[in-house]
Order: sequence, then structure tokens, then C-alpha cells
Amino acid sequence: MKRLKLPLTALLFFIMEGSFSNLLAGDIFGGDKIIVPRFIMILIAFITIYGTRRNGMIYGFILGLMYDVVYTEILGVYMFMLPFFAYLIAKIMRILQSNLLVTILTSLLFITFLEVIVYQINILIGFAHIDFNTFWKSRLVPTLLLNLAFLVVFSYPLKRMIEKQKLESDGE
Amino acid sequence: MIMPQFLNKKLILLLAGIIVLVALIGFSLRERETLSWPEQFLKDTTGWFANAFDKPVSAVTGLFENLSDLQNTYDENAKLKARLGEYVQIKTEVQALKKENAELRKILGKEDDLSKYSPIQATVIGRNPDRWNELITINKGEMNGIKANMAVITADGLIGKVKSTTPTTATVLLVSSTDPNNKISASIVQEDAANGIIEGYDDKQGYLLMKRIPFDKEIKIGSIVETSGLGGIFPSRLIVGKVVEVKIDQNGLNQTAYLEPATDFYDIKNVMVVKREVIGEDAKSEAQE
Repeated sequence: MKRLKLPLTALLFFIMEGSFSNLLAGDIFGGDKIIVPRFIMILIAFITIYGTRRNGMIYGFILGLMYDVVYTEILGVYMFMLPFFAYLIAKIMRILQSNLLVTILTSLLFITFLEVIVYQINILIGFAHIDFNTFWKSRLVPTLLLNLAFLVVFSYPLKRMIEKQKLESDGE
Repeated sequence: MIMPQFLNKKLILLLAGIIVLVALIGFSLRERETLSWPEQFLKDTTGWFANAFDKPVSAVTGLFENLSDLQNTYDENAKLKARLGEYVQIKTEVQALKKENAELRKILGKEDDLSKYSPIQATVIGRNPDRWNELITINKGEMNGIKANMAVITADGLIGKVKSTTPTTATVLLVSSTDPNNKISASIVQEDAANGIIEGYDDKQGYLLMKRIPFDKEIKIGSIVETSGLGGIFPSRLIVGKVVEVKIDQNGLNQTAYLEPATDFYDIKNVMVVKREVIGEDAKSEAQE
């Protein structure tokens, strides 16, 4: 059961993104703002930093593949980006200290990277028509605020859970 | 000498990854109506979890919505009472018209009606979080009789069409999606009806774009726009929106009408998938295959 904790959390985050975005799409925050929950990106950043790089990349690949198949129906984008980001996060963390504040900032930085790259890809394939200024105001800032709020609440329990799991698997 | 070789290997891996990425994107941009079985399996499984997760979430949000509804009850009640008298009058009128319509059809010997349909109720269990391609997932699928390209409506009007199905879920492409393949045949209701195709959405103003209307048609601002029922399996007379602006295209051959959508594309909870009773020739031959 303990071994299943992390995969189940990952599944929960995955489902939450889908149903949250339907709630957030409503009028609560005004229809013109688009808020993208990036809980999976946060989870992958935490797994990479507090767990192992290998795990981060595996979770990134599987969750990215699921994201592509279930949500966007454009295969490849997240499946490629998420493990790649896990790899980059591991590289960056060699230089930085891994305290909670740095982890939160790193997560937000990579959410920004993800948003910008996905935006560029969507311009290429003809789905996005907004300019960078609109993108920045109506998508990026609200998205970062929501995910910051999520990080403030869940970063500590998430860190504890992943560290515990790592200790257990190291002990075996 | 070891370092550069090591780097090379990673570089090659990255490049191979990018090539696979581009190939996969190209593959998924084709208009696919059926998904491969691993995709269907994955969608069905996550759909089951999402459906289970949706129950407590909608219970909580439903409670909040009920509370905010209560605040407006008094005003709404007063307005509704005022319209009740009007309603009775319209109802008798509609009944008379329906009867007349049926009789006239009988005289013409034309029983088929493109506007007749049977609805399948469904609940939204997820939405594409990245919101570039506006897709929603609903909790009914092939097993409930849903097929690709069927129209999807809410109580207010058309919201989209079914993009793909699995046995227990279906993905709906909203009309507001900027997917280049997203096209719906529609007509403007006025004395001299004008046909066109709805494609594209103006993000800033929230208007739908109805293109390819012949340049010589005069379009009244404020006219209602409905589906025309000309393309395959959409029924006719589903309300899409209202004309707010008309512009002549650059080449001067066509006009583009800007429509204010009848429905809200943001707050979607319960939808109906519409099954037309008269099946078009395309759909018939597809069913036989």
C-alpha cells in the first residue's frame, strides 16, 4: 500500500487537472482569464528534486503520455517535454540548494517554460492565434498565481511523502 | 575525449526525441475519427476515475451554486410570474402551428424532418487543462449510441460536436475551438435565408466567425443563426447564435458574419448529444460498411 502512494497521488493529480480546469473555466475568475492547473509539472519537479532523477523522468514520460492521449489528443508534446524538464531540473539542482523555497521557485520557473513552449508549438500547428502580450496577461500570470497557491498549500506534505518513499526504497 | 562522446550520445537522443515528437504531432493532426485501442483503453480507464472523482466535486460546487442561486430567487420569481401569461399564449399558438405543420407535411407526402432528433444526456467529467484546443470529456460513449461528428448542445444552444469516442466516454470539440478542422454548416434565419460555414473564433471579443456567405445576400444584424442540417448527421435548427457584425472578405466574393454565441463556452456542466432521426446518405453508407 505504501508503494502505491506515489502512483495514486500522480493519478489523483492527473484527474484533478481535468476536472479543475472545467471548474476554473466558469465565471468565478472572469471568462477571459485562462488558468491552467499544472499540478503534474509540480509533482514531477518534486519527484526529481526529493526523489531520484530516474523516477522523475519515468513519471514524466507516463503522465505526459496520458496527458496527450486523454486531454489534448495531440500526441508527443507533453510526453516529450515532461521527461526532458525532469532531466533539466536535475541538472539545475546540482548548482542550487534544495530547500523548499528554491523548489517552489524552480517549479514555477518550469511551469513558465512549459507554458511558453506549448504556446509556441500551438502557434506552429495553427491552434493559437493570440500575441505574446495577450498570452502573458490572460494566461501566464493567472496560471502562475493558481499554481503558486497550490504550491503553498501542498509543497510541504508532498516533500515529506516523496522523501519518505525514497528512504523506504533506499533501505531495501 | 570521453566527454564529447558522452555529450554526443545525449545530443543524438535529444534529436531523435524531437524527430519522434514532430512525427507524432503530424500523425495526430490528421482528422482521425477512430482512436487506436491503447488510446481507447487509457481514455476509458481514466474516464472511470474521473467520473468517480466528479461525484463529490460536483456535490460541493452544486451546494455553492445553490446558495448563490438563492440570493436571486426573489427577483427571478417576480420576472417569471410576469412572463407566465405570455407563456400560455405562446403554448397554444405553438400547438396550433405544430398541428398545421403535421397536416401540411402529410399533404406533401414528406414525413422526414431534418430537425427531429433524440437527445442523450451526459455530464462533463473533464476538460483539456491546457485550453489551447477546447476539448471536453463527457461520461457517455459508444455504448450509449454516441458516434463521431454528432452535435452536442446545452439548454441554450449548440456547443460543439463529438470528436472521438471510446466505449464509455466521448470527447467533444467546442465550437469555440480554433482547430482548423472545426467546421459547422449553418444558416442565417431571415426571409432570404443565407447559408455559410462556422469556422474560427475571435478570442478577444468572444464572437464566432461564420464564413463563406455569398456576397449578394443582405444580412440583418440581430438575426438568429441555426445549424442548417446540410452536413451529414447534424440536425437542423439547433440555435448557434446571433449576428452582431458583417464584413466583406478581402477578395469581395464572400461575407463573414460575426456571431454572438447563444451558449456560454466556459461554464459547461450538463450537455445533450443529439442523434438525428433522419440519417443522411453519408452516414448511411458509413453504417453499412
